[in-house]
Amino acid sequence: MKALLICPSIRPAVPHLSEFGPLATTPILGDGIAGHWIERLAVLGAREIQVIAASRDDRVLAAVGDGARWGVRISVIASNVEPTREEAAERYRPKGEPGWLPAPHDIVVMSHLPGCPQFPLFESYACWFAALAAWMPLALTPARVRVKEARPGIWISSRARVSPAAELIAPCWVGDQVVVEAGAVVGGGAILEDRSVVGARASVTQSWVGPDTSVGPMTSVANSLAWGSTLIDWRTDSVLRVPDPFLLCSLVKPRSAATTDRYGRALGTLGTPEAQGTLISALRASMDRTPNLKLSRLAQDKAL
Amino acid sequence: MKIENQGECLSISEIHELTAQNSAIFRDEVQAALSGSPAVIEINLSKTRFMDSSGLGALFALYRATAKRHGVILRLLNPMPEIQQLLELTQMQQLFEIVRR
Repeated sequence: MKALLICPSIRPAVPHLSEFGPLATTPILGDGIAGHWIERLAVLGAREIQVIAASRDDRVLAAVGDGARWGVRISVIASNVEPTREEAAERYRPKGEPGWLPAPHDIVVMSHLPGCPQFPLFESYACWFAALAAWMPLALTPARVRVKEARPGIWISSRARVSPAAELIAPCWVGDQVVVEAGAVVGGGAILEDRSVVGARASVTQSWVGPDTSVGPMTSVANSLAWGSTLIDWRTDSVLRVPDPFLLCSLVKPRSAATTDRYGRALGTLGTPEAQGTLISALRASMDRTPNLKLSRLAQDKAL
Repeated sequence: MKIENQGECLSISEIHELTAQNSAIFRDEVQAALSGSPAVIEINLSKTRFMDSSGLGALFALYRATAKRHGVILRLLNPMPEIQQLLELTQMQQLFEIVRR
């Protein structure tokens, strides 16, 4: 059976999501949007999938490969503009040709996740987050062997490292190779993508943390999308480029060889030891006002 | 930066950025203006487009020297959304009264 997947190209309402790559490869609970769709189409019986990419087709090709991972054959077609469903049908699907998946899965515009048409992804950042939150219970497909539902509403990769002194509150998703340090609070409504790090006594609530992103110790990410050093408040669409890496940063940037540990690197970005001490005091003072975090204060002070 | 002493209220405004470049000046100038022992300090952040950890540190130093020790009311007025995000990220919004007017 054949199917066509149309990659979203430009979505003006969510410009910052495409800064890290094509929207079709934006990671959602451990896989790109295209990956989720290919998996779904493969389950429905597709064996040959054409992916139409209107921008950065090389990145799309790199993400989906030849399809062997899903047991399908994939070809990526570069297009100047994103075709509509009708245009794609006219151009790529000969009328009456047998062997196509039945509609609507014969031609799919990846503007929502499989099975969630009521949650459009790209109409606003709030829509994006709502779609991800709705997708959380559906994302644990048989192909996802490393992730388990540890407790009701808490999905966690077997390769994640969560401190026993951290607190996970349902619903939350802890991706592959994620590190959650002691005293951190993750959830409810938190999604930590692969290889992200939540520092000691930090909190993440109603938020999505992108892959390879470090949420610094004692910081609070709430109602936001955090990816690299970009922090987007999904309620207001306000975007902050966090200037100090020890608060929020990407972990894939080159690091200084002069500093050896993560805290040292982060704190090394502050101008003076006095400035470092002052800000840490400020963070501690504000954390002390949060009772559930205060409990692990002593243990954390030792760690720090 | 503009500092006005309005009786019991010390008003600080026209702060375009609060960073490692100017946070020491901010601290010194505000410290000098504290001699009048104001009951309220209002920092107008409506024009502050950029703040980093040094700027946050300067605000915290002011909090520690006034609100925490002497019960002075410390208000941040009209922070821009990005600055509000930074205050929330560092949980410093819990230390200050943030007012929009």
